[in-house]
Amino acid sequence: MGKLRSIFRYLFRRKHFENDIDRELQYHIERQTELNMHHGMPPAEARRQAALTIGGMEPLKDNCRDARLGRAIEVLAQDLRYGLRVLRKNPGYSLAAILTLALGIGANTAIFSLVYGVFLRPLPYRDGAQLIVLNQTVGADKDDAGFSPIEIAAYTRQNHTMQGVVEHHQMSFLLMGKDMAERVQTSVVSVNFFDVLGVKPLLGRTFLPSDDDRRAGAVLVMSYKYWRSHFHGDTSIVGRVFTMNNIPHTVIGVLPPVPQYPAESDVYMPTWQCPARSNSRNIANVNFRLIDVVFGRLKPGVTVERARADLEVVSRQTQAAHPEGYTGLSHFAVTAQPLKFDLTRHARTPFLILLGVAGFVLLIACANVANMMLARLLKLERELALRSALGAGRGRLMHQLLTESVLVAVSGGLLGLLVAPLALRVLVGFAEEFTTRAAEVRIDGPIQIFALALSLATGLLFGLAPAFARWDQMESLHQGGRSTANRGRQTLRAALVVAQVSVSFVLLIGAGLMIRSFSKAAREDPGFNPARLISMRASLPLFRQTSVEPFRKGITDLARQVREVAGVESAAITSVAPFAKVLLAQGPTHNEFEIEGQPLVAGQPVPTVDGRVVDFGYFEVMRQPLLEGRTLNDHDTESSLPVAVINSTMARHHWPNQSPIGRRITPDHGKTWFTIVGVAGDAREYGLDHKTLDEIYTPMRQNGGFGNVLLVRTAGDPRRMIPLVESAIHKINPYIALDQVSTVEDLEYESMASPRLMTILLGLFAALAVLISASGIAAVMALTVRQRSHELGIRMALGAARRSILAMVVKQGLVLAGTGAMVGAAGAIVLARLLTALLYDTSPRDLATFGAVSALFVGVAAIACLIPAMQVTAIDPLQALRRD
Amino acid sequence: MAKTKSDLLQGTLDLLILRTLELEPMHGWGISQRIQQISEDVLQVNQGSLYPALHRLEEQGWITASWKTSENNRQARYYQLTKKGRDQLAEEKANWLRLSAAVARIVGVA
Repeated sequence: MGKLRSIFRYLFRRKHFENDIDRELQYHIERQTELNMHHGMPPAEARRQAALTIGGMEPLKDNCRDARLGRAIEVLAQDLRYGLRVLRKNPGYSLAAILTLALGIGANTAIFSLVYGVFLRPLPYRDGAQLIVLNQTVGADKDDAGFSPIEIAAYTRQNHTMQGVVEHHQMSFLLMGKDMAERVQTSVVSVNFFDVLGVKPLLGRTFLPSDDDRRAGAVLVMSYKYWRSHFHGDTSIVGRVFTMNNIPHTVIGVLPPVPQYPAESDVYMPTWQCPARSNSRNIANVNFRLIDVVFGRLKPGVTVERARADLEVVSRQTQAAHPEGYTGLSHFAVTAQPLKFDLTRHARTPFLILLGVAGFVLLIACANVANMMLARLLKLERELALRSALGAGRGRLMHQLLTESVLVAVSGGLLGLLVAPLALRVLVGFAEEFTTRAAEVRIDGPIQIFALALSLATGLLFGLAPAFARWDQMESLHQGGRSTANRGRQTLRAALVVAQVSVSFVLLIGAGLMIRSFSKAAREDPGFNPARLISMRASLPLFRQTSVEPFRKGITDLARQVREVAGVESAAITSVAPFAKVLLAQGPTHNEFEIEGQPLVAGQPVPTVDGRVVDFGYFEVMRQPLLEGRTLNDHDTESSLPVAVINSTMARHHWPNQSPIGRRITPDHGKTWFTIVGVAGDAREYGLDHKTLDEIYTPMRQNGGFGNVLLVRTAGDPRRMIPLVESAIHKINPYIALDQVSTVEDLEYESMASPRLMTILLGLFAALAVLISASGIAAVMALTVRQRSHELGIRMALGAARRSILAMVVKQGLVLAGTGAMVGAAGAIVLARLLTALLYDTSPRDLATFGAVSALFVGVAAIACLIPAMQVTAIDPLQALRRD
Repeated sequence: MAKTKSDLLQGTLDLLILRTLELEPMHGWGISQRIQQISEDVLQVNQGSLYPALHRLEEQGWITASWKTSENNRQARYYQLTKKGRDQLAEEKANWLRLSAAVARIVGVA
């Protein structure tokens, strides 16, 4: 309390304070004078001696002031005022510094929020660190094998390391209300699913053990998103009854808005309500591995390693009890890893690259500001030297310069916080390509602290730059501030520019590689014609059907009816559309098969192939060229010989230099033999940047499955045709649910979304870096010209041509840029390797990219040098010589 | 015989000021005189450090200052120990005794 009063008195009752000091010291001198006179000195001498005991009056008073806490605040306020005045007086410098920093800090804040939200923020589930994901894999490539109900039951009952094990698989069912039929993404889960995750319902309740029973009646829990978008947040939803799979389902609860793991679904149901999962034949079949996600909660204190060992023991017991489930499976293995890792594994590489790049950009911005600071210091040199000579302590001057740079940095940081949300909006869309955690990304407390800490750190960092540059006050005074002799500082500035240039060069190489890779991928021929092609999934309201026959007939009829619609050229059926999101997310399947006459050899890898179930007319609608033999036609029926069309990659792979036509393969150890009747061209259905794999196309009526995706080739604008086709289908049957409706060109565009965004982001960062470095080069050259104007003036007076002087200055700048580029090239060769995973058909040492980037760089550097060098021509020799 | 004069040890000035003020409130000049007298001219207080020290002690809340009429009938700035100052003095005294005893043992006087 006393301290506050004292600070207040010092700052705001200053007159009293000063008055007290004056009178106190006055009193001291008077008493000392009296004492001296008492000892016999004459009055004048007595007074002189008394004053001497005090010493310098002003320094003593200053020391008294320094003893006060209020003094520190006063000094800071003075420096701030002075700093603000200086910034206002040099608007160009201040704006450039603040804007560069704002961009640097804004970008870093946005990317850090992303990385924080995705990797660092605790999972929004209770004790998220205890959650682990189980995986069963087969083959050398560790393909997901999935889980069968028998295996899940074993892990659940026989493990010793987990508190709970739950399963999840996603189905797509029709949800029918009074006057609606909608296809809903349905998560089929164990009844303790939400308890293990630790998710509490927003409305109603989640599942209870008693719900795991047919007699209790079917129940549903709705996701927050679906409830909001389809029922407008109507709280009376709890208790509503819908029909699914032909039985009534009661909604018992709504989830809170937490990110859904492992997949976004509209509704959740217990396992017994899924017809496939609850079929008694499937439950007894260890080979029925429908369930793709199993996870559990570790008991307290149990490590992931111990859980892994435990799971392996359980799996060996299951394998011994059900050997029929593991014959023919090579490299079968079970493993586990933390949920958090599983959620974000795809995001790791691109995000860390972006974080590194943003950090680099900030460093470049810092170097720039440090450089500007040094330039300013040079201008101030005389003033500082003068103040220093007049008794201002070096510490005080440093304090003041530091205040100024922190002022710039914090302004930049605050402005950066305004920029960050804009940048973040773009970035979240990018993150959604990689992880469901993107929904949790936002700018909040920890992020703002990060941004401010970052700006303070940069402020101190570049504020300290002048500290490296010692100034010799006397020399500065003598030279009249012309300072040609401070080589140390020139070297520092040159080093800063070289460092800037080299880092920007690395970034530009990174961006260049991404652009080259992207344009290479974008130029790839998809192998079919995506123009004027629509794809949509059609779900027929057929229930209680135990065979696929009604589905096949229904979808075939539908395709025929769609072909009649005006504006439709042709239509066909497939199991999945090219570039479809589900296709890209799940990746190719690896169906094992045998070739006639080539029996499997133990220990040799079994050949595998990715497959499509299609209807006749598929290749014609896709415009996928036929290279050999014939396509599928409507004579390929249940009663005719099973046939297949393969792609040319598969043909070359298994029958190099010979025709595969007439060869036979079997997917089921000889029960069924498919005769190859045609070879089609390769199609890049998994995205243009994915090399084509072995692919087989089998007719729907022969392979036991069916497709429900319609491919429609239109005569005119496909986007305008979509509503026409939809309404035509609903006229045929209003209960056919249509979803995943899109033009194939849009799907193709979206399939490239993540490389496109990565390319754009890296490109933007690199452009920013180059811009900042160019301004760095220009600033240094401008200063050099100004400092050397005296010398250049003499040269001109002595007859040197302006052009040769211009060349000299530009050459000096290019040497800086060239040195930086060389250092950068060396760094790029090392760092570009990190990009390998993101590059398509492009070497990280791609010569063309290195060449183009170098050329671009030399050009930019030359321009950056030329602008300030032009000032040379404005030098009037006489003026330059006369100038102070 | 001239008496040897000693420089004040770092930090002991605070102790001397507080101790002087323990006897009675006093102004700056008086404090320096008192220290000189009691130490029989061994200790000379540098005015350049006395006044900043007084301001520092006041800022710490160990002493307070007020204008009073002095012994020669003029207004002087008198300093007075506070309760906090008394506690501080006790602590510094104890420290000093411990320190000087230790130094004396090493030097071999005691």
